Amino acid sequence: MKGHTENMAADKRATRLGVLAVVGTLLFSIVGARLWFLQTVEADSLQQQVDTTKVRTKPLIPERGRIFDADGRILADNQRSLSVAVDWELLRRDSQREEIFRRLSGWVDVPVEDMEERFQRGIFDTLLPMPVAEDVDERTAIAIQERVEDLPGVTIIEDSERVYPFAPLASHVVGYMGAITAETKDQYTSNGYSLNERVGQFGVELSMEEQLHGEWGYIKFEVDNRNRIVSVIEEVPPINGRDIQLTIDLDQQQYAEQVLETQIRLRQQAVARNPLDRDTNFTTRAFYETDPVTEEKIYYPEEVPFKAPAGAVVVQNHETGHVIAMASYPTFDNRWFESDLSGGKFGEIFDATDLEAVEYDPVTGLAIPETIKTDPDRSTLVNRAIQGRYNLGSTFKPFTAYAALSTGLLTTTETYEDTGTYRMVSVDRDKCESGVVRCVYKNATCPFGGPCVYGTVDVHTALAVSSDAFFYRIGELIMEENEQKDLLQQQVKLFGFGSDTGIDLPFEFGGTVPDRELKERYAANGVISKDEGTGYFTGDNVQLAIGQGLLSASPLQLAVGYGTIANSGFVMKPEIIKAVFEAGVPDSDRQGYADISQARFAEEPNVDGEVVRQIPMPAEIREEISSGLRRVITGPGHFSDYLHSTTGEKLFFDYPSSAIPIAGKTGTAQGRNNFPWNDSSAFTAYSIDPEQPYTVTAYLEKSGYGATAAGPVVKCMFLQLSGIAPTDSVVVSEPLDTNSIFPAAPKKLNDTSCFSRRG
Amino acid sequence: MATSFLSRKPDSGLGNIGASPADPSRNIDWVLLTVQIVLTIMGGFIVFSASRTRLVEDPYAFVTRQVIFAFVAVVVMFAVMAFDYEMWKERARFLYGLTLVVLVLLILLGIAGGEDRISFDLGPFNVQPAELAKFTTLLMLAVYLADERSEEVSYPRFLGGLLIVGAPAVLIVIQPDLGSASVIISLAMGVLLVAGAKARYIAMISVLSVATVAAAFFGQLVNDYQSARIRALINPAAAGADETYQAENAMRAIGTGGVWGKGWLQGPLTNGRDIPVMWADFPFAAVGEQFGLVGCVVILSLFGVALIRVWRIAHLSRDSLGTYICAGVFTMLLWQIFQNVGMTLRIMPVTGLPLPFISYGGSGLIVYFAMFGLVQSVHMRRMR
Repeated sequence: MKGHTENMAADKRATRLGVLAVVGTLLFSIVGARLWFLQTVEADSLQQQVDTTKVRTKPLIPERGRIFDADGRILADNQRSLSVAVDWELLRRDSQREEIFRRLSGWVDVPVEDMEERFQRGIFDTLLPMPVAEDVDERTAIAIQERVEDLPGVTIIEDSERVYPFAPLASHVVGYMGAITAETKDQYTSNGYSLNERVGQFGVELSMEEQLHGEWGYIKFEVDNRNRIVSVIEEVPPINGRDIQLTIDLDQQQYAEQVLETQIRLRQQAVARNPLDRDTNFTTRAFYETDPVTEEKIYYPEEVPFKAPAGAVVVQNHETGHVIAMASYPTFDNRWFESDLSGGKFGEIFDATDLEAVEYDPVTGLAIPETIKTDPDRSTLVNRAIQGRYNLGSTFKPFTAYAALSTGLLTTTETYEDTGTYRMVSVDRDKCESGVVRCVYKNATCPFGGPCVYGTVDVHTALAVSSDAFFYRIGELIMEENEQKDLLQQQVKLFGFGSDTGIDLPFEFGGTVPDRELKERYAANGVISKDEGTGYFTGDNVQLAIGQGLLSASPLQLAVGYGTIANSGFVMKPEIIKAVFEAGVPDSDRQGYADISQARFAEEPNVDGEVVRQIPMPAEIREEISSGLRRVITGPGHFSDYLHSTTGEKLFFDYPSSAIPIAGKTGTAQGRNNFPWNDSSAFTAYSIDPEQPYTVTAYLEKSGYGATAAGPVVKCMFLQLSGIAPTDSVVVSEPLDTNSIFPAAPKKLNDTSCFSRRG
Repeated sequence: MATSFLSRKPDSGLGNIGASPADPSRNIDWVLLTVQIVLTIMGGFIVFSASRTRLVEDPYAFVTRQVIFAFVAVVVMFAVMAFDYEMWKERARFLYGLTLVVLVLLILLGIAGGEDRISFDLGPFNVQPAELAKFTTLLMLAVYLADERSEEVSYPRFLGGLLIVGAPAVLIVIQPDLGSASVIISLAMGVLLVAGAKARYIAMISVLSVATVAAAFFGQLVNDYQSARIRALINPAAAGADETYQAENAMRAIGTGGVWGKGWLQGPLTNGRDIPVMWADFPFAAVGEQFGLVGCVVILSLFGVALIRVWRIAHLSRDSLGTYICAGVFTMLLWQIFQNVGMTLRIMPVTGLPLPFISYGGSGLIVYFAMFGLVQSVHMRRMR
C-alpha cells in the first residue's frame, strides 16, 4: 500500500517536472527566436544605426556673475549675443568654403575676404563651428536659420557678451576680459575652461574670476548621420557665476575720477621755476644737465612746464577698510576690450607700454609684437592706486614720529632747535668737512631763498610745518642710540609698509622699506651702484625719516597707514568686495541698478572689515601726531624768523566748518636730479569725526608741491563726502565711440571752486 | 570517508571491483560538470573581451579576479558534493536564520550609512548576502516541504513555505535588489510546483510577487535607477533616453554580430564605452557581437544541456528532498538565463542580474557552483 502511494507520488512528480521542462523549452524558444530575428533580419539596420549614430557632447556655458557697486549699480553685465558659425566640415574644401562665404556675406554684412582671413588665421577651436560673424541681430539670425537649405552647415550660436553700463568709471577696479593666453592656457583648461572662452584679465574680473565664472554644464546626445539629434542621453545644467558687490560707490568714484583728471590737466598748464643760483651769485640758473661728452653745463630755462602725466586717488573708510573710491589716471574704457578691436587699432589707442602689459591681442589672443619706444609715465592699464611705486616724501613723517615716540627716543614735550640744516652728530667733523661722507642735510627752500628755519619745534609743530631737520635727527638718533638696529623700519612696517595690503585686486605692489638686504638686492640688480649697495648707513636712515631714498609705497598703502593713526592703531585690510551673492540677483526697476534687496549672500558679508594687526597706539602719542596733522589743515602757523604758515593752512583757508573735520599731511617727493618740475605731489587726510571715518589719499606724479597738486584733490574729495561740493549725478554711459583714438573719454569737474587757495 | 571519491583510482581492470556501483564517488554527473566548467572558462574570455578596453592600468584585472573566484568556487563545490545532502536537513534552519540576520544587518548598515547597500565591503572583495540567501532559502524550503509525506502540499504548509521565501525576498527588495529577489521567488515557484502545490497557489505567488514589485515601485522602495529601468521598458519614449541607452546599445551589439560575429576582440561596441558595466550586466552582448548567432547558440545550448541534466537528476532522485533541490536549481537557473539574455535582447527590463557562470562576479559564481554541488550530491547518492 505504501509502495503504491509512493509510485503514485513519483508519477505525479514526473508530471510536474514535465511542466518545468515545458516552461524551460518555451522560454528558450522565445530567446532563440528573438536572437535569430536580431542577428539575421535586423542585423543590417542595426549596423546602419551603429554606423550613423554618434554621441556628441555640447558644453553648456555658465552665465558670468555680474558686478555691482555699493549702491547696486550694475558695473558689469552680460548681454545675450548671437553669432553665425560654420561647420568645419564645409570649410575644408576651398571651392565649397568660397561658396558658403559668398552666400553668407550679404546676410551678415561681412566681406568674403574678412571671413577668409579668419579661416586662415586658424585660431578657433576646431571642435566647435567656426564663428564668421559676431553680434548679429535676431532678425538676421532667424532669417539664416530659415534658409538651412541654401546655407548648409551654418549655425547660429547663442553667446553672451560682457557689457559695462557705467564705463569708463571704475575701469581699473572692475577690470576687463580677454582671451586665454598661452601662459594661462594649462591652468584654465585644467579647470574646465574652453579655449574659446574669455577670462578676466584685470581688476575684479581677474581677482574674482573663480567666483564670477561658474561651472560648465553639458548635454550629451546621439545624432544620426545628418547631425540631427536622435536622443538626449544626459544633461547637466551649468552653474552660473556668483554676483559680486563692490565697496566702491559710483557717486564718489565719478567725483574722484573727475577731480583727479581735472587737476592733472591744470597742472600740465603750470610751470616750475628754475631760480637763479645763489651759489653763483645769481649769475646762472640753479638747474642744469651736464653733457656726458663735453661735460658742458646745459641750463634749463626759467620756467619748465610740469609733465603731470599720471596720478591716483584712494577714498577709504578707515573703520572698516572698505574702499569707497579708487581712481587712477590715465584711465581707459573697459568696453574697448569687448569691441572686437584689431591689434593695429588697439596699438593706436593704448600706449605702447600698455601693449606690453597686455601682451596679447584681446580679440585674437595673438601675441602683440614688442614695440620700440615706451613711456611708462603714460601707461594706462595700470592701477596706480595699488601698483604705483611712489616715494612718499613728507607724508611719511607721521610714521617716523610714531617710531620716535613709541621707542622712547622722544617725548611729546621735547623740543629741538631747527636751524634750517642738520649736521649728523655721528660723523667726525673731519670726515664730514672733507666730503667723504655726506653729513649735512637741508630743509626745503623757503620763498626768500635758502632753507627754511623753523626755530624751536616739538613733534606736532614739526609735523605742522614739515620740518625736515627735526626728522633727519630722528633718522640718525634712532639708529645711533639703538646699536644700529632697524627700529625705524620695524616701526613703520607695523603700518603695513613694505608688504601687500591684501586687497582683492591683482598686481598689487607691496612697496619697499630700505634696509641692508634691499640695498644689496638693488645693487645686484643694478638699480643702485655697487658702492652704494655695500651696506645700510645712518645716512640712508636720515633720508628714510623724511620719506625719501629707497622707500616706496602705493597710495593705498599710504591711506591704510593714515587710517591706522585715525582709528587708533588698527591696520585694516582694504576691502574692495562688499558681498558675494548667489547667481541671479534680479534687475531693479531703476535703469542700471540691480535689486540688492532680493540678493542672497553666498558668503557671509564682511561688514566690519578685517583687522590685519593691532599696533600699540597710546593716547598721548596719537594725540601728538593727530594734533600736528590737524594743525596742517587749520593752522596756526609757527613763528621763528617770521611766521611760517603750516603746509596746508593756505589751501584749507576756506574749508567750511560744516564740512567733515580733517587732519592731514602734505608731501613733496623729489624726483630725478631733484629738479623742481620732477617733484611728485602727495597729500593724505583723514576725518577726525568718528561718524564719517574717511581717509583720502591723492598722489600726482611730477606735478609740484603736495599742497599745490594733490592737496586740492583731497580737499575737493572731502567737500564732496561732506555733501558740499556740487556732484554730477551718475548716469548710464553713452555707447563707446569706436572711432575715437583715446583710451577713455575725458572727464571734467564742472565746479572747480574747491581748488581755491589763499596767497 | 566522505572525500574518498577524490582519491578514487582510475578503473584498472578489477581494481575497483570492491567498490559498489552505488558508491557516491562513482556517480558523478560528468556531463553536467564538464558543461559547467566549459561555461566558466568561456565566461573568463568574455569578461576579458568586455572589460579590457575600460581598464586603464591592467586589462587583465577583472579576468584575473574571476579566475581566482572560479578556483574558490570549485573548492566550494567539491566540499558540498562531499557531503550527503541529507545532512542539510538538520542545518538548514540554522543557515537560514543566519542569512536573515545578515540581511537585516546589511539594511541597518545601509540606514546608518545613509545609502543603499547590497554588499558588505570586505577590503578587496564585496560579499553580497543576497547570493547566500539563494542557497540557504532553497535548502530551507526544500527541507521544509520534503517533511510532508503527502503528494500534495497542504494549505498551511504552503503558507509556511511562502513565509520562508517571503522573509528574505522582502529584505532583499528593501536593499533594493529586485533582481536577486526575483531569483528567490523563481526558485520557490519551481520547488512548490514540483512539491505539488495547487495551480491556484502558484497563481497566488505570481500575483504576490508582481504586487510586491508594483508596491516597491510606487512606494519608492526601488531606487531611482531601477524604477527608471522598468519605466524604460514599459514606455521607452517617455523615459529619458539615457535609461534606454545602454540596453539599446546592447541590442545593437548583438544584432550587428550577425550570424558569424565580428571575431574575437573585434566588436566596436564591446570595445567602446557605450555599454556600461558590460562585463557583469551584458556579457551576452559581447558574445553576440564577437561570435554572432553561432556563438550565442553555443552558449545557450550549453545552458540547455546543463538544464536538461539538472532536470534529469530531479527525475532520478529517490527522495523528494533531492527532487525539490534540483527543481529549485532548475527554475532559478532558467529564470536567470532568461532574464539576463532577455534584457540584452530587450524583451526584459534591465536588472543587475548576472548571467550564471559567464558574468563577472565572485559571489554569484561561488553560489552557483555550490548549488551545482548540491545537485551533484543528489546524483551521486541517488542509488543509496
